Amino acid sequence: MLVMGEVHTGLLQNSGEISEPACRQVLGLMTGETVRVSRRPIVHALSPDRLTGVDCVLPAASGSRIRGVGTVVSRCAVTGGRVAQGSSYVRLARSETDRRLPWSHYLARPGVIEVLGKARAADIAEGFVGEGAPRLHGCLDLTAVTGRFLDLVQTSPLLNRRAPFRMPRTILRWVAETGEPSIAFTLHTEQERTLRLTHPGPFTPAVVDLCEDLAVHDWLLTSLLVVVERARVGATPAAEVAARLSPAVDHLLHLWMPAARVEERLTPFWESLERRPGFSRQWRSLVDRVRDQLAVHTLALLSANAETGGR
Amino acid sequence: MLVFAISDKGGTGRSVTGTNIAYRHALQGNDVCYLDFDFGSPTAGAIFSVGSVARGTRESGLHEYLRGDCPQPRRVDVWAESDREGLRTRPPGAGRLVLLPGSEGGGELSALSEEVVGRCVQLFGRLEEEFDLCMVDVSAGRSFTAELVLAATVRMPAVPFRWLVFHRWTRQHIIAADGLVTGTDGLFDVGTRFGHDPEVLRDRIRFVRTAVLEPDAAELVGLRDEQRAWLSACDSELRELAGRHGVGRTTMLGKVPLDPVLQWREQLITDEDVLASKIANVETAAAFDDLAKKIVDDNAWEGL
Repeated sequence: MLVMGEVHTGLLQNSGEISEPACRQVLGLMTGETVRVSRRPIVHALSPDRLTGVDCVLPAASGSRIRGVGTVVSRCAVTGGRVAQGSSYVRLARSETDRRLPWSHYLARPGVIEVLGKARAADIAEGFVGEGAPRLHGCLDLTAVTGRFLDLVQTSPLLNRRAPFRMPRTILRWVAETGEPSIAFTLHTEQERTLRLTHPGPFTPAVVDLCEDLAVHDWLLTSLLVVVERARVGATPAAEVAARLSPAVDHLLHLWMPAARVEERLTPFWESLERRPGFSRQWRSLVDRVRDQLAVHTLALLSANAETGGR
Repeated sequence: MLVFAISDKGGTGRSVTGTNIAYRHALQGNDVCYLDFDFGSPTAGAIFSVGSVARGTRESGLHEYLRGDCPQPRRVDVWAESDREGLRTRPPGAGRLVLLPGSEGGGELSALSEEVVGRCVQLFGRLEEEFDLCMVDVSAGRSFTAELVLAATVRMPAVPFRWLVFHRWTRQHIIAADGLVTGTDGLFDVGTRFGHDPEVLRDRIRFVRTAVLEPDAAELVGLRDEQRAWLSACDSELRELAGRHGVGRTTMLGKVPLDPVLQWREQLITDEDVLASKIANVETAAAFDDLAKKIVDDNAWEGL
């Protein structure tokens, strides 16, 4: 009836980007299960799925207590050896009984939460991504589950924790339903974003890939904006501006690869976001700004050099 | 970087100095968060002039978080929520300034459990990812809180941390500050027990003198010659005492002069207080500014 999930995105806590074998090790959260890696157009590593059992109240805009039992699927990803993500999602389904069944029943349906009693999908969706929705005690907390998975990656002993700059994690909360295609991406506070997606055809994990891909690019854009803002172009000396912009060149600019991992039938969603608000448009203008600043600084250095050399 | 602020006794001005250092560090363009771990009296909100959390928060305070009663502690954006006009807009070039208040009526930690240490490690790990400086106000004297952060930092070997020990410039405070670091159940003692390398720990502890009255200060102009001579003798005696107790100049990060404003009210000293209303001394603001720089300056922390 409804799929909801969360993606947390942050800078991998390492001084430089990590290699593909290192990605495999960092994401090898379970022995025996392999890490899936794709190399083109950008190295992307995905951990095996892990399940978290839950028996909890589901979010509801109406404030009604809806109980759900089942499992949450979580996984971690590293993009370009530099951006770390934790991602969790659940599919809601009506339970055929009104009591909790043995756990074997739920384990046979990974990622499904069975709803006990009456519930409207719209009510739950609004409770999950809507603003100002009441948070009941004991409510499904995908933020805690997802955050913990991302912590597993970030605290890996293989990482040196000397990140080149500080950046908050962003949280993308999403709901997806089957129906007439539509997409609504909303920025809330500095870190929170929501996405409402209606897709044609049944739900597949490709929808999760789309959400993760969006989250990576939103984080890149947010981070680059912060780096440029911190540089205070025009208010600080050019040399300082150049020094403050250089982490962006070293660690961010090459990672922009929109819709690289999005299934063909879902690419129209990316395209519509590219038209409005225009992710790539804003990214390109920022990248140009960074490069222009560095070019101007280089020219200034060269002419200063030429003057002293001519004397 | 995690910085733990501790003091030998209460009333040393630990919180007011710690908050001012955090504020100055944010003004210098860094993202800063301030954690009120003084669970017995969480009053950092009052110093930042955030009325709603002046005595801690009723919901999702740090105490509740560590006990496992809420998934994430509450964050207060000082630039947005302070009641003081001069603080309510983020100055150009300043970084974020976020307060994590303690719980109202929380009370000191009464024991140290594995779960509490685990939550503390998670909290520090996440904040360190996001902020250039995390200033943690640990309560005065020996406490479970101090043990908690010692136990937590030993589990995160890659995360840099430093300790600031605040003390006043008096005989009793100098002796007590030394005792807090090197005495029985002091920082070295407990830290070593939890698995810290004592040599490494030693290099990560510095002292900060608060409410210092210099013998040549302007405030002393009206004093009689005899009084001034006596003060000067006292000062050299204290310097000699401090040297003997390892609290001398080599282990000192900085000192904050006595300022009437801080004697009357715990508050942040803004540039407006110094330049416009002139209620605070220039030297005080300069001392905070200097400490805010030295706190991350490796030269000031080189091994002795």
